[in-house]
Amino acid sequence: MENILDKEIKGIIDAYPEVGKILEEYGIGCAPCSVGSCLMKDIVGIHNLDPQQEATLMYRIEKAVYPGRDIPEPKVDLTKKAAPKKIMYSPPVKKLVDEHVLIKRLLALIPSVVEYIENNVEVDKELVLRCVDFIRNYADKYHHMKEEDILFKYVDENAEIIQVMYKDHDTGRNHIRQVVEGAENGNKAQIKEHLFGYRDLLTQHIKKEDEILYPWIDRQLSDTQVGEMFRRCNEADASVGDELPKKYENFINKLEEKFLKEVVK
Amino acid sequence: MSGCPGSRTMDFSEKDVQNESETGKRQSQLRQWPIQLHLVSPQAPYFQEKDVLLVADCVPFALADFHKDYLKGKSIAIACPKLDSDQEVYIEKVKSLIDDSKINTLTVIIMQVPCCFGLVQVAKGGAEKATRKIPIKQVVVGIEGGVLSEEWI
Ligand code: SF4
Ligand SMILES: [Fe+2]
Ligand SMILES: [Fe+2]
Repeated sequence: MENILDKEIKGIIDAYPEVGKILEEYGIGCAPCSVGSCLMKDIVGIHNLDPQQEATLMYRIEKAVYPGRDIPEPKVDLTKKAAPKKIMYSPPVKKLVDEHVLIKRLLALIPSVVEYIENNVEVDKELVLRCVDFIRNYADKYHHMKEEDILFKYVDENAEIIQVMYKDHDTGRNHIRQVVEGAENGNKAQIKEHLFGYRDLLTQHIKKEDEILYPWIDRQLSDTQVGEMFRRCNEADASVGDELPKKYENFINKLEEKFLKEVVK
Repeated sequence: MSGCPGSRTMDFSEKDVQNESETGKRQSQLRQWPIQLHLVSPQAPYFQEKDVLLVADCVPFALADFHKDYLKGKSIAIACPKLDSDQEVYIEKVKSLIDDSKINTLTVIIMQVPCCFGLVQVAKGGAEKATRKIPIKQVVVGIEGGVLSEEWI
């Protein structure tokens, strides 16, 4: 069994597609992941299944990979704590989860923004650039920077899951560069492609963070680290001032107002 | 006192004791004196920038591994929210721990009986008065010694 645990998940799923389906049944979405070089053992650890689930999952995967082998029924280690049902974040992590809410409100508006741009002869460059400004300064500078400079430093930065997060942040930045180029050139198709690309990417990214990554990091933090991280995040927030989050919340409120009205009309 | 669940008489001397190892000597993890909240100065050196426990008087008698699992590496103040007087002073002291001694975190450990939750109110009251913000954790201990819940509040 050790050898499966030390293998990269992508390789296992490519060779045995059945394993991807089994993982999905447990809410572990590795099959569509862009990187997939997480080791099987990390995937099991990161998802914090209860011992019964974990043993059954590993049993089924081993059965799928080695159908001919005589595999013993799962032994359950009841000394391991079962996963709590509701996710409870520490205060600094909770603040990051709350910031996702404003970002998700922008993501929800992207289809309306794109439709509006498509239906007007001239590209509303200012509108596009204001969305870009939100994405660059709130989602990226204000939020992603705290993740990259503070949160991720509390765990092994070489862990595959962290590398995936860095890669997502970068892919997002590339999409936004393309959106800006589209706005400069009045290229509606380019704006559409990359705003939607950003939306799909960030939707998945935030879900991964809220449900998998953040709880995984929280489980590894000591109280001392929670206090320290809370202070460091507050200092980072203070360095940009109270105005910045307020300004962007106002922007989203106004944008929602504009497009909700459009819908009513 | 008959209606108060916190003082209802219970006897669990028949409880099955698992065969835990009781051999060997353990070190105390206490690194300060005094500990009673009326007696401590919230600006004592042992509170500066530390992770602090605010513990209900009855807790360490119920929680067998209190030293190893909670006290280790932390500073402590103890109080009883039911019987102690002058609890406004407690609120001021919590505020001073947060603002003056700039403590890193505060963990309030209470018993499961309803009146013990008063200590969480003391902690919250002090935190609300303070200008600094810090993470506060609540741990609830059962009368038979188990940790019933542990959460950031
Ligand atoms: S309120 Fe708490 S500390 Fe006070 S007597 Fe009751 S259980 Fe003990
Ligand atoms: Fe992120
Ligand atoms: Fe995030």
